[in-house]
Amino acid sequence: MSLTFSLAHLMGGIILLCAFLQLSQRRLSAMITLYQAEALVLSAAAFWQGYAQNEVNLYFTGLLTLVIKAVGLPMGLREIVLRFNMVRAVETAMPMAISMILGLGLIGVAVLVVLPTTMSSLSLTREDLAIALSVVLLGLLLMIVRRNALAQIIGFLSMENGLVLAAIGMPGMPFVAEFSVALLVLLAFLVVGVFLLRIREHFDTLDLSGLEEIERRGR
Amino acid sequence: MSFALLAIALPFLAAVCLGFAGAPRQGAIANAAVSGALFVLTLAVFWHGGSGLVAADPLAALFGAVSGFVGFTTSLANIGYVSADEARMPVHRWRLYHALFQVVLGASLLGLYADNIGLLWTAMEGGTIAMTLGVSLSRTPTALEAAWKYFILGGVGIGLALFGTMLVYLAAQPALGPGFAAMSFAALSTHAAHMDGALLTLAFLFILFGYGTKAALVPLHGWLPDAYAEGPAPLTTALSGLLINVALLAILRFRHLMQANAASGGTATSPGPFLLTLGLASLFLAAFSFSRRRDARRFFGFSSIEQSGISAFAFGIGGPAAIFGGLLHMVLHTLLKSGLFLALIRAAGLRGSAAPGNYGFSHLRGILAANKYVGWLLGACVFALTGLPPSGLFASEFIIISQTIQKNPYMSLPLGLGLLLCAVAVLRNIGPLLFAKAPHEKPKKPGGSANLVALHLALLFLLAFAMPGPLVHLLSGAAEALQ
Repeated sequence: MSLTFSLAHLMGGIILLCAFLQLSQRRLSAMITLYQAEALVLSAAAFWQGYAQNEVNLYFTGLLTLVIKAVGLPMGLREIVLRFNMVRAVETAMPMAISMILGLGLIGVAVLVVLPTTMSSLSLTREDLAIALSVVLLGLLLMIVRRNALAQIIGFLSMENGLVLAAIGMPGMPFVAEFSVALLVLLAFLVVGVFLLRIREHFDTLDLSGLEEIERRGR
Repeated sequence: MSFALLAIALPFLAAVCLGFAGAPRQGAIANAAVSGALFVLTLAVFWHGGSGLVAADPLAALFGAVSGFVGFTTSLANIGYVSADEARMPVHRWRLYHALFQVVLGASLLGLYADNIGLLWTAMEGGTIAMTLGVSLSRTPTALEAAWKYFILGGVGIGLALFGTMLVYLAAQPALGPGFAAMSFAALSTHAAHMDGALLTLAFLFILFGYGTKAALVPLHGWLPDAYAEGPAPLTTALSGLLINVALLAILRFRHLMQANAASGGTATSPGPFLLTLGLASLFLAAFSFSRRRDARRFFGFSSIEQSGISAFAFGIGGPAAIFGGLLHMVLHTLLKSGLFLALIRAAGLRGSAAPGNYGFSHLRGILAANKYVGWLLGACVFALTGLPPSGLFASEFIIISQTIQKNPYMSLPLGLGLLLCAVAVLRNIGPLLFAKAPHEKPKKPGGSANLVALHLALLFLLAFAMPGPLVHLLSGAAEALQ
C-alpha cells in the first residue's frame, strides 16, 4: 500500500508541475514538450493504478494515453507549428509572472475545496482528486490567458489530462468515463485540426485577436 | 431490444449513410424519412422503455417524443430549405449537414434515455462536437468565430461536467460501492440519503456550470446567440433546442439527488439558491440584451437564454408544482421555438434566401406584404413567446409565478419584473416585423412548411389549455418523483 501511495503521488505531482510550467512558457514548442511529458507521466500513472487496483481497463487507458496523447498529438502539434511558421511566435497577452501567481492561487483553491469535502474517502483518492482538480483549473487558466489558438488547444488538452487523472484514481469506476475522455481528445483534435486549417485559410494567422468580426459589426 | 435502444441506434446509422451518399435533395428526403421513422419509434418508447444502461422513464420518453416530433417537422421543412439553397454549398458539405442533423437527434435521444451519468455525458459531448461542426458549415469568418466560441465554451463546460460526474460517483461510494450501480440515476435516486452530502454539493456545482453551459445559463451563455445566428438555420436553430432540454433535464435530475440528500438529513446544502441565482441572471441578461439586436436569429437566441433561465428558476423554487411548471415550460417552449424558427426560415426564404446573414430585422420588415399566411404565423409565434394569455407559455409561467409567490414571495418580484421586461422587448418587434411599409413586392406562395408552423402552434395551444389527462398524470408523476 505504501508504495502505491507514494508512487501515485509522485506521478500526480509531476503532472501538476508540468501543467503549471506550461503557464510560464512563451514558446509553443516548449509548451508542447511539457504537454508530452505530462501525457507520458499520465500513462505511467494509469499503468500503475491498473496494477495497484488490479484493473485491466486501466492498462488500456494507459496504452491509449501513451499512443495518442504522448506520441500522436505532440507530433501533430509540432507539425502545425512548423507549417504555420510559428516556431518563433512569442506569447505576449499577459505577463508570465501574473499568470503564474494566478495559477498558484488556483492550486490553493483546488486543495481548499477538495480536501475538506472528501474527509470520508480514502486519502489516496482525496489527494489525487485535489491534484487533478488543480490540473483542470490550470488548463482552464491557460485557455483564458493565451491569445494563440494553438496555445488554447494545449490548455484544453492539459485540462483533459487532469480529467483522466481524476478518473483513474476513482476506485473501480466503470470504463465508460475513460473511454469517452479518449474519444473526446480524438474528436476534439479532429475538430480543432479542421479549424486551424480553416482559420488559416481565412485569416492567414492563428492569432485570435483579429477574429472579432461579430463584435465590430455590432451584432 | 428495447425501442429506446432502437431509437438511439437509428439516427447514428442513418448519419453514416447520409454522410457518404446522395445528392442534397435526395439526402433531405431520406433525412425526412428517417426522422419520420424515428418519431414513430420515440412514441413506441412510452410502451417499452428498456432496462439497464438505456432505460427511459416516462419523463425521458415524453421529452424523447417531443424531440422526435421537432426533428420530424424540421426535417420536412428542411426539404424546401435544401431545394432553394442547393447551390450554396458543395455536395459533400450537404451530406455532412444531413449526417450532423441525425447525430444531433441521436445524441439528444441518448442523453434523454440513458440511465447512466457517464452515458449522459457522452451524449452531451457528441452533441457538442456535432453542433460545432454544424455551426462552422457555412465557412464564413463570422461562422468560424461562432464555432470557435462554441467549441471553447462547450469544451470547458463538458470538462467541468465530467469532473462533476466523477464526483457524483465518488459521493455515491458509501451507499452503492464501486460499479455501474453508482452511475445509474434510478439507483442514485433511491440511495440519495446515504450519499456523501458535502461531496455531492461540490459535484452539483461542477455539474451546474458544466451542463449549464449547454443549457445556456448565464454566465456561460456566450456561445448561443452567435451559434444560432451563423449556422445553417434548420440545424443550428430549430434543432439545437433539443440539446438544451437534455442539459436542463440533467441539471434537474442531479438537483433531485442533492435535494433528496438534504431533505433526509444528509450534509448536502439545498440546491435552490444556486439555481435561482443563475435563472434570474439569465432572465435579466436576456431582458437587457434584447434591444439593438439587428439579426432575428440572434434576437431569438437571447429569448432561448431567457426561457432556459425560467425553467432553471422553477427548478430552484422546488416542490412538485413548480417542477411541473418548469417541465411544462420546457415542452411548450421547445414546440414554440422550433415552430418560430421554421416560420422565420420561410420568411427569409420569401425575401430571397434562407442562408445565414439574411435574417436581419431590416431585411424581414413588413413580411405581411410578401405572404399573409406566413406573416401572420410568424407574428403569432413571436407573440406567443411573450407568454401573454392566448399563448401556451402563459399556462406554465402562471404555474411558476404562483408557486414562487407561495414558496418564496420575495423572489416573485424580480421574476415578474424580468418576465415583463422580456415581454415588452419582444412585443416591440412585432409591429415593424409585420406591418412596416416594405418596398412593393409580388406576394409569393407560403410553402408547405407554413402548415408545419401552424401545427406547432396548434399543439402548443392544445397542450397548454386542454392538456390530455395522461400527460398531466405523467408530468405530475415525474415532478413528484424529482422534487
